[in-house]
Parts: sequence; C-alpha cells; structure tokens
Amino acid sequence: MTIDYNAMDDGEFRTMLRDWLVENYPDELRFPPKRMHWDQCGEWYMTLARKGWLAPGWPSEYGGMGLDANKLVILMEEFEGYGVGRTPDQGITLIGPLLIQQGSQEQKDYYLPKVLSGEHIWCQGYSEPGAGSDLASLRTAAVRDGDHYVVNGHKIWTTLAMDANMIFALVRTKKEGKKQEGITFLLIPLDTPGITVRAIDNLGMHDEFAEVFFDDVRVPVSNVVGGENNGWTMAKALLGHERILIGSPKMASLAMIRLQSLAEVSGKFDDPVFVASYTQLKLDIEDLAAAYKRFVAVLKRGGPIGPEVSMLKIWNTETQHRVMDLMLDVAAECSGVTDPIPVGDGAVSASDEFIDARPSTIYGGSNQIQRNILSKAVLRLPS
Amino acid sequence: MEDISLQSRIDVLTEEQMMIQGSAEAFIARDEGLNKVRENRFQQPGFDQATWREMAEAGWLGFLLPEEYGGIGLSFSDLSLLLIQLGKGLVPAPFSATAVLAARLIVKGDNEAFKNEMLPALIAGEWKPAVAWQEARGSMAVKAEKLRCEGGKLNGEKCFVPDAGGADAFLVSADNDGATVLYRVDKDAKGLKISYEQRIDGGFYGKLSFNNVTVGEEVASAAVAEAALASALDEARVAASAELLGVMTRALEITIDYISQREQFGKPIGSFQVLQHKSVDLFVLSEISRSVLLQTAALFDGDADDTARAIAASQVKARCSDAALQVGKDAIQLHGGIGYTDECNIGLYLKKAMYLSSLWGNASAHRGRYAELAL
Repeated sequence: MTIDYNAMDDGEFRTMLRDWLVENYPDELRFPPKRMHWDQCGEWYMTLARKGWLAPGWPSEYGGMGLDANKLVILMEEFEGYGVGRTPDQGITLIGPLLIQQGSQEQKDYYLPKVLSGEHIWCQGYSEPGAGSDLASLRTAAVRDGDHYVVNGHKIWTTLAMDANMIFALVRTKKEGKKQEGITFLLIPLDTPGITVRAIDNLGMHDEFAEVFFDDVRVPVSNVVGGENNGWTMAKALLGHERILIGSPKMASLAMIRLQSLAEVSGKFDDPVFVASYTQLKLDIEDLAAAYKRFVAVLKRGGPIGPEVSMLKIWNTETQHRVMDLMLDVAAECSGVTDPIPVGDGAVSASDEFIDARPSTIYGGSNQIQRNILSKAVLRLPS
Repeated sequence: MEDISLQSRIDVLTEEQMMIQGSAEAFIARDEGLNKVRENRFQQPGFDQATWREMAEAGWLGFLLPEEYGGIGLSFSDLSLLLIQLGKGLVPAPFSATAVLAARLIVKGDNEAFKNEMLPALIAGEWKPAVAWQEARGSMAVKAEKLRCEGGKLNGEKCFVPDAGGADAFLVSADNDGATVLYRVDKDAKGLKISYEQRIDGGFYGKLSFNNVTVGEEVASAAVAEAALASALDEARVAASAELLGVMTRALEITIDYISQREQFGKPIGSFQVLQHKSVDLFVLSEISRSVLLQTAALFDGDADDTARAIAASQVKARCSDAALQVGKDAIQLHGGIGYTDECNIGLYLKKAMYLSSLWGNASAHRGRYAELAL
C-alpha cells in the first residue's frame, strides 16, 4: 500500500522525516567531508530502499515516494539539514527519471526495479579527455553491427565508477553534420567484456572519480534510450530540479562554522582585519541564502528552473572558495600541513578543506561555462 | 528598455503590485532621457518640486502611512516596487528622506495631535519635513549629543540633511538633559542658519547651525525618540536599498544595450567573452541584491523585533550599496571613453549610486553594525 505523502501537513511530514533519520541514519556518516563509497554507505542505501524512500521524486507507480515539488524540497532540506551524505545516487536522480520520461516500457520494467533494489548502481559516462566543457565534441564511438553497437573510446571524471555496475553513456553514432545531432544515449553494463575502470586519485588523495575505457565493447541496440542520434536531447532532459542543489548555502555555512572555530582558537576575533573579512563572507552566504530561497519558492510552486539558476552556482562556489582562502590564512603554517588543527571537541584541517573545495568551480559546467550560459540565455548578449 | 531582471522569470506579484509597478514604470518613462534630472542638478533645491506634487497626486507620499492619517497603509514589499522604479528613473525627489524617514518618524513619535495635523499635509505634498539627526560624518548614532536643548532653546549643529533646501521644516534630534528628544523646527526659525554642500548627484545636503533657536512641538518625547529614530532610519535604509537596486538595474540594462550595439573590430563588443563575463558578474550582483531586498521587505512587513529589523536593514544596505557602486563603476568601464563624459547618462547612475550608497551608513558601516548585532 502506498502512502500519500503529499496529503500530509508540511510540519507533520518534516517531523516524520526527522524522527526517522534520527533513528536510522548512522551517526558516523553525518556531514561526511567527502563523497562516500559504496562500502561506507551501501547499508544506508538499502535502509532507504527497504523504507521505500530511495526515490522521493519518482511517481509512486514506479516505486517512488511520488512527492510533489513542495514536499520534495522539504525532504531535501531535512536530509541536508541532518547531514545525510550523498549515496551513489545517479540511478535515482538521473537515469530513473530519464527512463520514466523517455524509456521504452521494456526498459522501465527492467531497469527501474533494479535501481530500487540496489542491484544496479549507476554512474555517468559523459566527459572525455577531449570533451569537457565542449561536451558535444565527444568521440567515444558506437558502430552498428547487427543487433549490437561496438563501442570504442574513453570516458573520464566518472564519479564513483568503481562502485557502479552500470554506466549510462553518451556515444557518437554519426560523425557528419552538427556534432550535437550524432550522439546517442546508451545503457551499458560495466561487466561487459572490453571495459576497464581505472580509479583516479584527486588532489585530496581520494579516489572519487575514475576513467572508463571501452575496447570493442558489444552493447545490444535495445539499450539505446530515446532513439539513435537523440542523445543530446536526452542529456538535456536530465537537467532537472537537482540543479538547484548546487546553490544550497549549506556547504558554505558549514565551512563558515569550521572557520569560526579555527579563528576562535587562533584568537582572530580580536583582529579587526579578520573580523571585517569574516563578516563580509558571512553576508555573502546570508545573501546567497536569500537568493536560494527565492529559487526554492519557484520549485515549490511547481515552476520550471531555467538557466538563471547558474547564478547560484557561481555565487555559492566562489564564496566557498573565499571561505577557504580565509581558512588557509588563519591556519598560518598549518595550511601547509595535512594533520588537522584541534579545535574544541573536534579538529579542522584547513589544507584538506582548501583542496577539497577546488573542483566545485569546475564540475557541473565550470563557472566560466555558467557565465557563458547566463550571458546568452539570460542577458541575450550577441555571439 | 527591456527589463533584464529575473522578476518576470521567477517572482510572483499580486495584481495590486503589478498595478503599482505599472504606474511607476509609466511615471519614469515620461523622462527616459533624464532631462529633469539634468535641469535640476546643481541648483537649489536640487530636486523637482513639480515631480513632488505629482507624486502627492498619485498618492505615493502616503504609501506606508496608516489610513487613519490619510495614508494608504501598504507594505514594504509593495513600496519597494515603486522605489525600484524611482531609482531606475533617477527621479529627482527626496522620497526616501521625506516620505519614508520623516513620515515614519512622525508616526513612530508620540505626539498624536502633531500626527493628525501634519501627516495629511505631508501626504498632500504641501509640507515637506527633513530629518536633522546626524552629528558627525560616518556616524549612525541616534543619541543626540552635540545639539543641545536647554530652556526651550537649541544650540549646536546638524549635518548631512538631504535636500534641506526644499524642506519646509526640520525634525531635529537634540539632547535635553541627557535624553534625546525630537523637535520640530521651521525652516525660517530665528537663529537657524543653513549652509549647503553640493552633492555628487546634483542635489544638496544641508548643514544646520542652531543659535538659540526656539523649539517647536515635541514630535517624539524622551521616552520614545531614540527608538523611533533608530526604527525609522532602518526603514529608510531599506527604502534607499530599493532605490539603489533600481539604479543598478537600469545602469546594467543601459550597459547591456550599449555593448550589444557598439561595434569594434567588426562586431558588437558585447560578443567578446571578457565583456560578457563582466556583465554576468554585475547581473549576479544585482539579483543577489534583489533577493536580499525581497527577503528584507518581507521581514519588515512581518512582526520581527527591532534588532532583527536592524540586522536585516544592515544586510540589505551593505549589499545594495556595494553592488550599486560596483555596477556603476563597471558600467562606465564597459562604455569606454563616452562613459566618462557628462553628456552620457550612464555617469548619472554612478553618481546617484555614490550618493545613496553613502547615505545613512555605507556598506562597511553596515557590515560593522551587522557584525555587532548578529555575530
């Protein structure tokens, strides 16, 4: 029997979520500093699955919670507020909604239950060494051979590929014409012969992402989503509500709290130069929170989030970087040391934080690309 | 000129708010060339008396005032829509200083008879009071110290009184035996000397010297004067922030328009990525400012206490002051040489931003107050 969460009172819904998190979410995983691997969070993933809360945004007929936009925002707020870390969730946030929207009946019937049961863990194969910001120039080729495609190429920055057993990839099926029009969206089991996954250590010495090599990999034609050469449209259809998450002030606020404890033990609140910088940052984040609320209100009304949401990403990540700059400054010599500095009950590693913050202005479309988007789609400046 | 703000994309206005905005847009569209601004620059009183009368006729001067005194009793969220437009049009009239600061100060005072008598006159545009509260450059202190009242006589000085030349009377804060009291002093009072400082935007600040000036009515007694002044000033800061938002929004619109047309190297300079990214940064600043203003106006419409209002007023004034200056500066840069001429209107926006961003506490003063109150 499915519960109609949307009929619940907002406050009641919030309380229900919070109570359940307190009881079920592992304490040691609250506010994880890095993306969690499957061996850390797999159990939590399955707890969510058993509760039926793994896919809050999916319609209930597909096994989701069927939340409307307003309730979905509340759930995001509660999970974020409690410090629930991200699972390898690309099956839930990306491929599931795409299949529900664009997949064939067979694809829905086959793949969706496997996401919900944890049998399929997905990763995203978009970027290539030669196709980053200019994603449409991707070259991983899929050549038709009877009922199969033969895939050859190289994907990179594939987050948590080593934990996944499925990859959804953009592959080139046509070399002539407009480059966006020769791309196909393909579902590929990672245990198919010819696939090699190689983890990449990032600057934080953490193997968060990977490279995926395809060497004569045979994939059934039935694994195409949305038809051959329609991949670019499929990829764009994935730019959903999750985009707003990048604008959430939570990360920056938490970093400010750590900066504050570090500054306190360092006696920096007696330094007016520090206090001025600190206040400026505090307001940069508070002002972001006001902008974030304005966009969340759009979601709650069920309205579309357009290209303007890029402004949140720019402001959020660049503010976060300035917080890190100040943290590094306060840490003094310890900014060149990997061991954390003891503060109160805990410890803060300025160098780790600083390094871990580097990619935020790069991933999900670098901030320069975000500025291109705003310039064209919102300001309508000439090209 | 096309509105580039996100308002039409993501905000929801009530029908009444659309009407307010629409009539304010029509009002400023009549002087899109900014001729009135130029005509009134550098000469007393530094603003347009006819514009003031028209605003009175439109009912705008009673916007925030309770209906019992002849006002319309609308909200800060409503008012900000009007003020944004006044900022966009660089409308030469002391709206925030008189229809917000002075008017709200009278409402927050405790002289009922004075309210009943003078507020309708203010709303009708027949009586323009200006508030003389400040005693030192950079000060936000509402406790009067330098201007003293003894035996009904005022002695001392007040500074930075906006548009004093067009005022009929002053609302003056004075130290009376250790307590701050607010008095009315008419402009022609014996012993009152007014000298003027030219403002960058073409208006004037008045500097008031009191030499045994007999006080008029008590507008706010010692029991309420400081709190009333602090509270009315915070409201005026929100109003000035809304005007600043209008100033930066229109400056950016003009600039985007200009770089889309202006050709060099055989193409519009707005097609160059460096200029595009600069424009986007200014746009982001303006929308962050708008978000804070929306939030602050809503807070002022609710039942937040004085401290929460002061924190919010400082937050919005700090952001809008900084952002308007930044947009103003970069708008000149993006215009190139023509932007440095007086003939080009873009400079008028920078100068208005310079005036409003420094009025009632600049960005760093407000960050300082925010730190004191909120950290």
